[in-house]
Amino acid sequence: MKKDEVAANFVIIAFFVFMLYDSFKLHKVQRFGDVGSGFWPILALSAASILSIILLISSFKKYQRTKKQAPGEASRSPAAETDLKSRRKKFALSAICLLGYILIMPYVGFVLSTIVYVFAFILALEERRKPVLVLSPFLLTALIVIVFAKFIGMPLPRGVDFFAAFSRFIY
Amino acid sequence: MFEHYLTAFAAIFQPQILLALTLGGLWGLMAGALPGISTSMGVVLLLPFTYAMSPLAAFTILVAAYCGGITGGSITSILFGIPGEPSSVPTVIEGHSLAKQGRAAYALWIFLLCSIGGGIFSVFVMMAATPIIANFALRFGPPEYFALTMLGLSVVSGLSGGSVLKGLISCMFGIFLATIGTDGITGLERFTFGTTILLGGISFITAMVGLLAVSEIFIEAEEPFKEYKGSANYRGMKEEMPKFSEFKKNWPTLAKSPIIGTIVGALPGAGATIAAFLAYGEAARTSKHPEKFGNGAVEGLMAAESANNASTGGSMTILLSLGIPGSNTTAMLIAAFMIHGLQPGPLLLTQRPDIIYGIFVAMLMANVFLLGLTIVGIRLFLQLNRLPYSVFSAAIMILCVIGAFGLNNNMDDLYLMLAFGLIGYYMRKYGFPIAPAVLALVLGDLAELSLRRSLLLSLGDPLILVSRPLSAILLAAAVISIVYPLFKKPKMLQGL
Repeated sequence: MKKDEVAANFVIIAFFVFMLYDSFKLHKVQRFGDVGSGFWPILALSAASILSIILLISSFKKYQRTKKQAPGEASRSPAAETDLKSRRKKFALSAICLLGYILIMPYVGFVLSTIVYVFAFILALEERRKPVLVLSPFLLTALIVIVFAKFIGMPLPRGVDFFAAFSRFIY
Repeated sequence: MFEHYLTAFAAIFQPQILLALTLGGLWGLMAGALPGISTSMGVVLLLPFTYAMSPLAAFTILVAAYCGGITGGSITSILFGIPGEPSSVPTVIEGHSLAKQGRAAYALWIFLLCSIGGGIFSVFVMMAATPIIANFALRFGPPEYFALTMLGLSVVSGLSGGSVLKGLISCMFGIFLATIGTDGITGLERFTFGTTILLGGISFITAMVGLLAVSEIFIEAEEPFKEYKGSANYRGMKEEMPKFSEFKKNWPTLAKSPIIGTIVGALPGAGATIAAFLAYGEAARTSKHPEKFGNGAVEGLMAAESANNASTGGSMTILLSLGIPGSNTTAMLIAAFMIHGLQPGPLLLTQRPDIIYGIFVAMLMANVFLLGLTIVGIRLFLQLNRLPYSVFSAAIMILCVIGAFGLNNNMDDLYLMLAFGLIGYYMRKYGFPIAPAVLALVLGDLAELSLRRSLLLSLGDPLILVSRPLSAILLAAAVISIVYPLFKKPKMLQGL
């Protein structure tokens, strides 16, 4: 059991306890015979909080046990540390690409944002072959626009100003 | 009843429905065959295509993809030793051993015929059982529905992963998510924090797309860059067609396994994986040659494949008759029902028999079509494994974006999808199973409303939940299913 798992359990407990605190405000609103708007969330969040505390205790005990049995194994080797950093970087880049895609789509429209997104995302996944990097954003966007905008008739975002005019030209 | 079947058959044989059946089957086979995509992910990615379809075409494409996904998972299992689906692990053990002995085509025939046989058996059970269970369920009141949802949630939490504790936490998180938005009884806003984005509650589809598909891509994105995979040593299927005597010799396994699969499939949360392992374990236990298991036992392959496909019919029976999803994939189908303004459950059989009987016939035809589609398309699925994963995952992510956006044409749903993607990523990272959260999100609302309606009926007396026999039995079963795995878990299911 690693340190970050114990830390994650703390975050989970904090989340459930905060929501539980918030759910007590709902408890007063109810009809005759009804248990009220707060009853069900209080029940679920109380159970979640208690279970999370049990999980934290058991995780912590396992962590301590591992540390005692093999003190060297509790810390990562340099190779494992590099691998972990690389994994975290790729995950962060993938999430940032998606966030950027969602942020720019209403302004530049679906077509241009998708071309940019596909290029950035496959680059983040360490794709380095030039034909794939150059062709796939255009081919993928064209395929998606043909199927969803032309064939199914889904109203995909068009963007604003110049970008809206550009999008209307395509779909 | 027969006129409903005649109408359904006539509807299924329309060109657009046949096209939906073919495309859904192909997509499902592809999703199942590719290790990066699960059946539930395959079905969720199909949802945006169904927005503009007629309800029957939409359900046809979705159930075909569901059956295809379960079937397709075994193709890569046999040829590459990579389970496309968790339910294909016994197939890897026996099927890939046969492939290594140079009998890949033979193993593919066994898998295909047993899968389709198991699938068709379970469809007939579904056709017979759904009207009976639905008629019985018409007598259900709010206490019975509450007890039923509790049973569903408890079984899901207990069976969905290695840690029961984490399963229960995931389930409670799903129940909490279901309470967000406007309270259906008092009209009070809950956990919206003054925003309008959460006022209508959390959309199933947005949450499912995020938790299941986006998080999966984030997980895959972390992996080292994937080059093209090698191709299998596979030549053709004509030469190695198994003889009828091979099936005759193993008839007890072929008779038992689809029954195990259908029953296990009907249990909420159990699904194809447990069905395959239970049938495989039973075949090993009763086999005359148990020493062959693990080294290419045909009997083991037959058992696992008959059972995992048979689970689809069992799962669909409960969905169509009671409106309770038994797995992630059937939870997607609930979302599809809602997109088309339908409420799955006992009333749907009388209100929209065209849809229910249409789904029966579509599932039957999907299994028949899958036989041909797999034989014809097997080389294509193998070639798909050579696609660059980077481009493939970009395509999946765009489908996720379209699926979440297309529901309400609202950009806010995309932010929610991203948030659920991140939540799902961390849940997977720290070993919290996703299925209980997804199913609790779907069932949580029904459970709360049933509980509160029960208490309104009894003027606040909670004894109404245990004073009605069926409700009491179901609640007792729910308690047992939570407590039992804490003390004992079958050895062969550990680590699933």
